[in-house]
Amino acid sequence: MSTTPIILADGVTKRFGTNQVLTRVSLPVMERDVVCVVGPSGSGKTTLLRCFALLELPSEGRILMEGTPISTAQPDREIKAAARAVRSEIGMVFQHFNLWPHMSVLENLIEAPLRVKKMPKDQAIAMAEKLLAKVDLSDKRDAYPARLSGGQQQRVAIARALAMSPKVLLFDEATSALDPELRREVLIVMRQLALEGMTMLVVTHEMGFARHVGTRTVFMDRGEIVEEAPGAAFFDAPKTERAKRFLQQFEDD
Amino acid sequence: MFKYQFRWDTVWGSFDFLMSGLQMTLIVSAITLVLAMVGGLIIALLDMSRFRALRWIGVSIGEVVRNTPILVQLLWVYYVLPIVFGIRIEALVALIIGLALYQAAFISEVYRSGIQSVPKGHVEAAQVLGLSPLQSFRRIVLPQAIKMTLPPLASNFVQLIKFSSLGAVISVSEITRRGMELSATNFRPLETFTFIAVVYFLICWPLAMGIRFWERRLQNR
Ligand SMILES: Nc1ncnc2c1ncn2[C@@H]1O[C@H](COP(=O)(O)OP(=O)(O)O)[C@@H](O)[C@H]1O
Ligand SMILES: [Mg+2]
Repeated sequence: MSTTPIILADGVTKRFGTNQVLTRVSLPVMERDVVCVVGPSGSGKTTLLRCFALLELPSEGRILMEGTPISTAQPDREIKAAARAVRSEIGMVFQHFNLWPHMSVLENLIEAPLRVKKMPKDQAIAMAEKLLAKVDLSDKRDAYPARLSGGQQQRVAIARALAMSPKVLLFDEATSALDPELRREVLIVMRQLALEGMTMLVVTHEMGFARHVGTRTVFMDRGEIVEEAPGAAFFDAPKTERAKRFLQQFEDD
Repeated sequence: MFKYQFRWDTVWGSFDFLMSGLQMTLIVSAITLVLAMVGGLIIALLDMSRFRALRWIGVSIGEVVRNTPILVQLLWVYYVLPIVFGIRIEALVALIIGLALYQAAFISEVYRSGIQSVPKGHVEAAQVLGLSPLQSFRRIVLPQAIKMTLPPLASNFVQLIKFSSLGAVISVSEITRRGMELSATNFRPLETFTFIAVVYFLICWPLAMGIRFWERRLQNR
């Protein structure tokens, strides 16, 4: 296995005006890693993910994909070109799904392959149908998002991200907007992806998922990575006071 | 008042005359709507431009038009433009230009709020999947925005039907003007303008109700 991270945050600092949200965050995600990011709300997890997804520019530091810089505070022409080239290899699943409501499930899935990859339509449809089967939604192929439950919408969103065959998939609290009884079906899909070797960076409040599926747990607080440990080790033996206090609120789970 | 003898026959006798005015009203309103839709797009593009000078022009047009009376604008277009450019403008053309400019300022806001009604997350999802800004605008933003702008555009059409009555002041022969002409000869303003008010109402009210229903359906989507 290669020792170059699939994706790497290299000393990323992010400020919104004078509000410093990330402070020199460095985080490599290796191939087949399932890195789970946990931490109190407002600690900068979403912002970090958005930097990886190229939705925000870091104020300092860089994002690298397989060793190539794709984002800096002031990206030059070379970096912008590199970003365009790999953009669709970084998939993202949002807390609020963000399916396109004017398109059917199938249309949501084939849009990017058709327009970005210029994939022939029949091929795109065949692939979309395979992905829908994978997230167990073959019967919803022609439904519109508004007709689906939150759990179904999120599974469609995952399938849509997979349709671009990303090298890494970012999840921003993919189950937080769902009723508890709908979370399981999404977590099952995520675990399945992890088992298949998908490289994943998962911001989550699902401690069970982080402990049992994650290969590494990263604890963030106030814009910094406070602690980092292999999957379960973080939960069994947190080293810092802040992490211990954070974990206490989940003890009833 | 109680002794008033209604003479509706004076109106029926000139029915065709009044209806030709209604035809003019509808034609003016339709042409103006189309021009105002184009004008509104131009103003909206100016407003969103990257260049400060263009933004300033767009914002200024909007502010001036929204904060002066439409009748004054019409009179201005009819009397002042010819002085400035040294050409005589047909009253009909002046009416259409004046109304279109006025309505364009409002329609630019309709476009803007239509575009803003599309959640940012939909665009970000497109961006992450690799769609270009143009692709994402055409495929994700526009189809959703258009749906939201259609009812307000229809409302603008209803407004134009009413505002076009101002054409009477500069003697454009739409239905209100025809009514003024008729009542000057039949001396029956009560019947004449009652009839005209009913005609406006019968056209505008069903349209307005339909639009309200349509908007409610969009909201409950
Ligand atoms: N676009 C933005 N503009 C200004 N402040 C922002 C923006 N996005 C996030 N923030 C601020 O950054 C901080 C971290 O937010 P976020 O990354 O969403 O944290 P988390 O996902 O861990 O809850 C919060 O204080 C939030 O108010
Ligand atoms: Mg968040």
